[in-house]
Amino acid sequence: MPEGRFCNKTPVTTEKALKALLGDNGGKQYYEEMTGLEVDAAELWENIQKTCKSRTRTWLEICARCALCAESCFMYQVSDRNPEQVPAFKIQSTLGEMIRRRGKVNNAFMRRAMEYAWGRCTCCNRCGQFCPHGIDVGVMFSYLRGLLYSQGFVPWELKIGAGMHRIYKAQMDVSSEEWVETCEWMCEEQQDEWPGLEIPVDKENADTMYTLNAREPKHYPEDVAQAAIIFHLAGENWTVPSRGWEQTSMSMFAGDWEGAKGNVLEVYAAIERLKPKRVIGTECGHAHRATVVEGPYWAGRPDGQPPAPYIHYVEWLAETLRCGRIKIDPAKKIREKVTIQDACNYVRNNGLAVFTREIMSYIVEDGYFTEMEQNREYSYCCGGGGGLNGIGLFRKQRNLALKCKRDQILATGATLVISPCHNCWDALRALEEEYHIGIRHSFLKPLIISMAIVPEHLR
Amino acid sequence: MLYHFLTGPMLLLSMTVFFGGMIYRLVSYFRGLDWRLERVAYTARLAQGMKGGFHSICKWLIPFGTRGWRTQPFFTVCFLLLHTGAVLTPAFLAGHNVILQDTLGFTRPSMPQPLADVLVLGTIAGATFILLRRLALPEVRILTTVSDYGILALATLPFVTGFATRLHTELYDFWLLCHIISGELLLILAPFTRLSHMVLYFASRWQLGADYAIKRGGRARGPCFPW
Repeated sequence: MPEGRFCNKTPVTTEKALKALLGDNGGKQYYEEMTGLEVDAAELWENIQKTCKSRTRTWLEICARCALCAESCFMYQVSDRNPEQVPAFKIQSTLGEMIRRRGKVNNAFMRRAMEYAWGRCTCCNRCGQFCPHGIDVGVMFSYLRGLLYSQGFVPWELKIGAGMHRIYKAQMDVSSEEWVETCEWMCEEQQDEWPGLEIPVDKENADTMYTLNAREPKHYPEDVAQAAIIFHLAGENWTVPSRGWEQTSMSMFAGDWEGAKGNVLEVYAAIERLKPKRVIGTECGHAHRATVVEGPYWAGRPDGQPPAPYIHYVEWLAETLRCGRIKIDPAKKIREKVTIQDACNYVRNNGLAVFTREIMSYIVEDGYFTEMEQNREYSYCCGGGGGLNGIGLFRKQRNLALKCKRDQILATGATLVISPCHNCWDALRALEEEYHIGIRHSFLKPLIISMAIVPEHLR
Repeated sequence: MLYHFLTGPMLLLSMTVFFGGMIYRLVSYFRGLDWRLERVAYTARLAQGMKGGFHSICKWLIPFGTRGWRTQPFFTVCFLLLHTGAVLTPAFLAGHNVILQDTLGFTRPSMPQPLADVLVLGTIAGATFILLRRLALPEVRILTTVSDYGILALATLPFVTGFATRLHTELYDFWLLCHIISGELLLILAPFTRLSHMVLYFASRWQLGADYAIKRGGRARGPCFPW
């Protein structure tokens, strides 16, 4: 079968196609069709020739095959040091082989590559820090994902996620109207406790524009309220856009680069329309990477910068606490063993470790904060990064991957794990469900609200 | 006759291929970069990239200077043994001055012979341990192909034959020819094989340092990644 009804090379761009794909429960038919999906070898090779430049080619060529990357990979560690989990092997036997064969690979090769690209690598980029040549396998797997996506070999959930972005401009079916209604609803709901609370929509020239993850209005609207309360407490002159509010990118996880570009252009258009002094993104690692770190390049901006300064929530929060715009009640500081799970996408890939430590110093009583053994830029992936959390087909791999974080947390003795990232937060929840280690996990926002001193004029 | 050919025209050819090839590889690397595809603002943030890139190169040249080196002490020692001798001995061996004078008409400073002996033995020992490691560890074996042994042989042969020549046995002439041939083979093949890492190491090492400086945290943590 050249192309299936659900599993094919065409991105999902209509609501009808999306609903049909969603109706294929768990992707049963989708994956059946994938076993017969033909590889267009000529097109694949042409794509490689156009996009595989000297950096990737050199990395693949000069890899000394020394396996110094092995121990750096948490997937290798949790798989009883299975040699097939060595990062260099994973990339050489997939992307490397694909290029050596000039794209002439078959269906079985592509399905194996798909399992490696999404089920054995979360693109955490840790291996690159241990390679003497500086070869970043995570970057290459991300590139491979794009090649696989272009040929239709992508996990079902990510095909849906990328489709959602193309249709709704959000990773979930939240329209602009629904988003604005959620803001109004949350605002009304909080009026008793927080009189005068506002969620200003489309206010021009505000100091801050706030962008977030579609899961928040869709499943956890209280997150939207919490963000508003904290801005209210800090006296922030802020706004949210009615369009271009969604910061995440399932498209990035899927390797749908055209879709990824569409997502950031939507956000950047909001920045250009509302002209805020700066933009603050929610507690989400990949959203930050997609919109702030990689996004400018997808949008074709040669300086690699978004249209306005764009920071992660932790940077803003550290600054706000530092300046005393929000004061923490000393009696309410955290007094239990606590550790932090930083997202690879903001800590390794954007250097924000300093801010999360600074926040800990303000909200945790001395002596209660414990670092995991490998931390800051050298921290391990939560186990669900790079989209792995959401892929049913690779649930076994995900549960295995969680073991690394489980053991790291257990070694700290922490009972509370703070994670300013949706993906890590999900992984921690899954970790607790799977392994029952007796931990709680939290974003920063609810913690800050619970321990902030409310100024008289806001009571 | 053969000796004169090998140390005359053939040496010139080998050196031309080696230096020409290496320069070509290095230039091609940087010319082949694409800021948009690789998503790194090379030009717009050149100064930042240079700082992070050079820091990355220098830090990784210091023995045990990075966390990566420190986590694998056995390999690090093997690596240092292999590379120190491999880089310094050919460049500063007193014996090479004779050929340089004859063929190119100049000489350069040279190192004391005992030091050269120690360095070469270090290179051979380092290569041997790396070979044994490759055979012994499953995570390295799975990555190993015939070409890995070929590259190791190609890189080590000039040192083994060179040391055999240095011993001045009755097979001196034989070992000398083997040394010159294996050395020139290495020079000629290096730009076309994985041995191109002699220069491409600097490119790829620069690359990740620049990447981390330009976009992956350079603004928040300062340009240099804590290698």
